[in-house]
Amino acid sequence: MAAAASLQLPLAVSPAGSPPPVGPPGDQPGQHQRVPALPQLWLGVHLPQPDRALLQRLAVLAQRFTPRVSLEPPDGLVLEVQGSLALFGGAAQLYRAFRAGCHAASAAPVLTLAPTPLAALAGARSGVAFKVLDQQHLVSAVSVLPLVALRWPPQLLQRLAKLGVYRVGQALRLPRAGFARRFGREPLQMLDQLVARSADLRAPFRVPERFRAKRQFVREREDHAQILQALQPLLKQLGEFLEARQCGITRLTCRLRHRNDLHTDCVIRLAQPEAAAARFLEWFAERLARISLPGPVRSLELRSGELLSRAPVHESLWQPGEHGGGGAAGSLPGSLEFIERLRMRLGELAVHGLICQDSHCPEGASRALSPADPDFRHVAFSSRAQVKTQAPARPLWLLDEPQLLREQQGWPQLDGPLQLRHGPERIESQWWEGHGVARDYYHATDVHGIAVWVFRERQPPHRWFLHGLSG
Amino acid sequence: MNALARLLAHPGIWRGRSLTRIDTLSSGFPELDARLAGGGWPKVGLVEILATHLGSGELRLLLPLLAAVSQQPQARWCTWIAPPLSPYAPALAARGVNLSRILVVRAPQGPQWAPEWATEQALISGACDVVLTWITQPLKPRIVRRLQLATQRGRTLAFLLRPWSSRVAREPSHALLRLGVEPQSHGNRSGMRLSILKSRGGATGEWWVDLEAAQAAAGV
Repeated sequence: MAAAASLQLPLAVSPAGSPPPVGPPGDQPGQHQRVPALPQLWLGVHLPQPDRALLQRLAVLAQRFTPRVSLEPPDGLVLEVQGSLALFGGAAQLYRAFRAGCHAASAAPVLTLAPTPLAALAGARSGVAFKVLDQQHLVSAVSVLPLVALRWPPQLLQRLAKLGVYRVGQALRLPRAGFARRFGREPLQMLDQLVARSADLRAPFRVPERFRAKRQFVREREDHAQILQALQPLLKQLGEFLEARQCGITRLTCRLRHRNDLHTDCVIRLAQPEAAAARFLEWFAERLARISLPGPVRSLELRSGELLSRAPVHESLWQPGEHGGGGAAGSLPGSLEFIERLRMRLGELAVHGLICQDSHCPEGASRALSPADPDFRHVAFSSRAQVKTQAPARPLWLLDEPQLLREQQGWPQLDGPLQLRHGPERIESQWWEGHGVARDYYHATDVHGIAVWVFRERQPPHRWFLHGLSG
Repeated sequence: MNALARLLAHPGIWRGRSLTRIDTLSSGFPELDARLAGGGWPKVGLVEILATHLGSGELRLLLPLLAAVSQQPQARWCTWIAPPLSPYAPALAARGVNLSRILVVRAPQGPQWAPEWATEQALISGACDVVLTWITQPLKPRIVRRLQLATQRGRTLAFLLRPWSSRVAREPSHALLRLGVEPQSHGNRSGMRLSILKSRGGATGEWWVDLEAAQAAAGV
């Protein structure tokens, strides 16, 4: 009890100097399972405003205190700090260090200490100063907490409220068998975990892994070929790193450092996770050739984006054509490489697939599908043909913006009078929302004999527009 | 005689009018198939299509081919490079084109953007069945020749869609085929005048194609 006595934190319910418990904990009344042998101390963190990004940052910060960190999204975090107490010089110092770290990250969460993770979280959620360092005071400390802090379903809380049960202490006093029968095993299990009667296993949080490597040059390098050569071993390391984890990356940054703290970033963004070093080298060669460097390069640094799982690429056992061997275009060697090469040179928006969309408005029915879109892989790799046969006749080319046509005595003109052949097809959509269309479409032929698709507005001023070409 | 037949069967040898050995794909237009060597589009090679206007019918001429190729079980990409407008997905799907095999390459005009380069990349990658490239600026015969060679490397059929000016028509062509397309309506039917300007191993000619009838025959 010496540790608790020396602590200068306000303890919620801990009469100082109370005698240590006598006898095994199993002897205590109401104790049905053995208490875990090792004492634990959990630091609970609760964000008043849910913020997943901030929570992630705090979880990374928490790694400085203990490896046992687990997330309770969207607003909670618990870390087991018993093993680190000696390192920080006691619970009070550790608590203060963590609070300082949170302030540095411009966060002001509610912090609590308790022997079980659930108690730490529930205490933090209820917002009271909740610091319980040893297990014998745990039950009395949690008894005052409202049941709402356990985040049970609202129906369950309502039923308990009908019995006049609002606080954890009242729930703990209910007979176990009856409680399990009326409210289910799960709430009972939670109550047990809350007061350390049963173990509470939590998935540990892991910091997302990234690749980082650096290379310093003895002599400054200016030539692109030399820089690429220096990049090669780093990329080889990256390839091995990714291969070992069966992962790929879609983002890779190469920072070239010059004199006077100048640096140039060369970023590769890919549509699909990639892991082959040779391909990264090829893309960097493509990128570097287009960058003009402000000076000679002193060092290189390679940083990967997040690691993503990658479907392993393997050659089919059967050759294309036999026993259904070979796959769709997406699985052919080189098919995605070629897309990436075009994207590297022409920009990320330059290459896209096509997809139909359900829309009454003609402009909305066709959509460009970026290779970075998850749907793209799905569409490109599915063998199902996407063919629709029942549809009204549509032009093969659609103008990005309808082109206003001149009129002569009510007839639309395009180099000369248009001859309307089929129509009208009335297309209306969402005019009741104010931004829709109400048009009469016609298939027409111009003086040259070109088949076009034109429409006339149904609302005044009834203008004519060219919207498509039959191709 | 036997030795001669064996010699003529050599893949490196082609004879003037009876190019029966080349792999072809039906164009979907019987009159065109009848005049082309081997009875259809070659599976590998470069074809030039000269059109007097955008929308003369050049795309509808290629639709049966695109539909057939994209629906093959082991279809590679059908890549459209520098199309002048947005291809309209519902219309393509309605005429039997499998959209999941369509790839569109469009980039804003800039120093990096050369449709010839993108075309060559698409051809040598071996990942495309068909490449359609729209090029409006004049092309050096050397580049056309280079693209023709690239089609052999990737086993791809490439179409160059170019404006039909008197200058272009006078240029020598390194393509296997050169067609000319001109819009022409007969009465109420929309169609095009199709001319075969050059055909290696096939016949030349000029006739009117009823595109509406062709579309109706395709089951739409």
